[in-house]
Amino acid sequence: MMNEIMNDADNTVILKNLHVSDSMGNTLVSSSSITIKMGEIFGLVGESGSGKTLTAKSLINLLPDDLCCSADEMIVAGKNMLEISLREKKAHIGKNAGYIPQNTVFFLHPMIKIKNQIADGFIDHTNKNKKEALEKAEGILRKVGFSNPKSVLNYYPWQLSGGMRQRINIAMALMNDPKLIVADEPTTALDSTVQKQVMELFRSINEELSISILLISHNLGLVKNYSHSLAVMYAGAVVESGTTKSVFENPKHPYTQLLIDIIPTMKIKKTEPLAEIPGYVQEKGRDTKGCLFRDRCPKAMEICENYVKEHEDGGHYFRCNLD
Amino acid sequence: MLRYVLDRVKSSVVVLLVVSIITFAVLMIIPGDPAQLILGTEATTEMVEELHAAMGLDRPLYQQYLGWLNDLLHLDMGTSYVYGESVKSLITGSLPVTLSISVFAMIIAVFFAFLFGMLSAIKKNSIIDYFSRSIMQLGTAIPSFWIGMVFIVYFGLKLKLFPVSGFVPFSDDFGGFIKSITLPSVVLAIGETGTLLRIVRSSMLDSLNQDYMDMAKVKGLGARKIYIKYALRGALIAPLTIIGMQFAKLAGGTVVVETIFSLPGLGRLVLGAVEHRDIVLLQGLVMFITAMVIFITLAVDVLIMFINPRIKSFQRGE
Repeated sequence: MMNEIMNDADNTVILKNLHVSDSMGNTLVSSSSITIKMGEIFGLVGESGSGKTLTAKSLINLLPDDLCCSADEMIVAGKNMLEISLREKKAHIGKNAGYIPQNTVFFLHPMIKIKNQIADGFIDHTNKNKKEALEKAEGILRKVGFSNPKSVLNYYPWQLSGGMRQRINIAMALMNDPKLIVADEPTTALDSTVQKQVMELFRSINEELSISILLISHNLGLVKNYSHSLAVMYAGAVVESGTTKSVFENPKHPYTQLLIDIIPTMKIKKTEPLAEIPGYVQEKGRDTKGCLFRDRCPKAMEICENYVKEHEDGGHYFRCNLD
Repeated sequence: MLRYVLDRVKSSVVVLLVVSIITFAVLMIIPGDPAQLILGTEATTEMVEELHAAMGLDRPLYQQYLGWLNDLLHLDMGTSYVYGESVKSLITGSLPVTLSISVFAMIIAVFFAFLFGMLSAIKKNSIIDYFSRSIMQLGTAIPSFWIGMVFIVYFGLKLKLFPVSGFVPFSDDFGGFIKSITLPSVVLAIGETGTLLRIVRSSMLDSLNQDYMDMAKVKGLGARKIYIKYALRGALIAPLTIIGMQFAKLAGGTVVVETIFSLPGLGRLVLGAVEHRDIVLLQGLVMFITAMVIFITLAVDVLIMFINPRIKSFQRGE
């Protein structure tokens, strides 16, 4: 199935060679490409500082003002983001994309009741009135697991728990029937039982409404369980991507191999320290022509200094001088 | 909600009581005998003592205090030695003057501080930001007596747009009223705008950096909703507190500006009472101004509670 040739209409996101740099000219993200098919959960994994969030934020026009990004191609929900004006971009994203943040506390405005912030995007984009919007919101709140949506709407965000707030965020993202939801580490701030509920909710949203979800996470185990495809980022570049199955069964890049090796399992002995990859993600020199991982790579060769080879085989991409 | 207000009222009453004790004590302790003052230096000891008895100044202090407090509760603040009028009528006479210029000054200050504070935060480091920052510096640096005199000379004497002194009551002539309070209000506003602008700008910058702004942007909302509904809402508390303090300060009398423009306001009344050791008037004024300041602060706190209902739950210790 994966070898089928997909045309552009089947993809929610096509991003080719994204480059993000700051005002000082430092490269933060370089030559990253991802393709998210319609109706799939796409995992974006990597260590802190690997550029996952920046990549996702450039898609939904949420990069901080002092960063600038360029790309060869950036299609989000059927529109080429490079060709439309900022105003069109805002409207298009507002209508077709939802965003679910990592931190559940500060993304809802603490001084505004849920009912006054859940639906304002919907009202702006559909010319519906507030009553209709709130009726829709009630339905969605019920869907994300609130049994008493009417009273939830009358709460302030701080009167709800973290898990509840995250479900509000999800409901808010669903208001416009988006084609894409960007979930930036959506469960990091939640405890593990709530984490499971939220992830199951994502899965059911994805299956029932066939909304594509870009799931950013540093938790490889979570991505393995929930995503259909994934990309692994290292120091601002996508080093390997493909279907979850092929990447996990046959990881090509040494970094991916190490990451998979260190996923903690239940079989771990108490006396044994948790495995780790020595070294840090580099901050500087991300625009090098060579391999970014070479300093930490157990299989580094001399050629990795100046050159890195890109492989693409039936949708499984990786960049490494090894075959 | 009602409980919060009641709690605040309760503590306000306590503050007022404490202030009344301090005011009474301090004014009794400081040297200067009101009876002597009234009768003049020629008076004999008998005459002074007679007057003491008539004024109740020979009673023990606590009795004097309780008597004074009792009168105060019946809104009787006594009679001024100097003006020979009741303190109440002196205050009600000068209050409209001070209140008019204070309210007008605050309207001007709030308008410009919010306009330029918001714009300069949204367009940080732009021309408008530099302009606003200059207003901040100038507003706080220019002394009000100087700008007041410049205004009198330029707008009053040269251009003859505004009267240079005096106050026209609201009920007499509305146009004249506005004209008579414009210059003093603008002078007061210049001083307050700088401070307020600084606060608006910094809380707006803070609010713009909050995560909820990201959410508002992703929703693709229009600028008006993003900046007013989300950003401004989150940036209101600090400016409101400052507005309350500034207004309370102005309403308590603005001696310099009232003097420059010869306005018969509260500030001049206080000044006169101090100069002439008019203790009865001074006591009355201190109590009245304290009560007014407490009331304004209370009103601002209740307003803030409406804007950020979370304060209620902090009060309850949740």
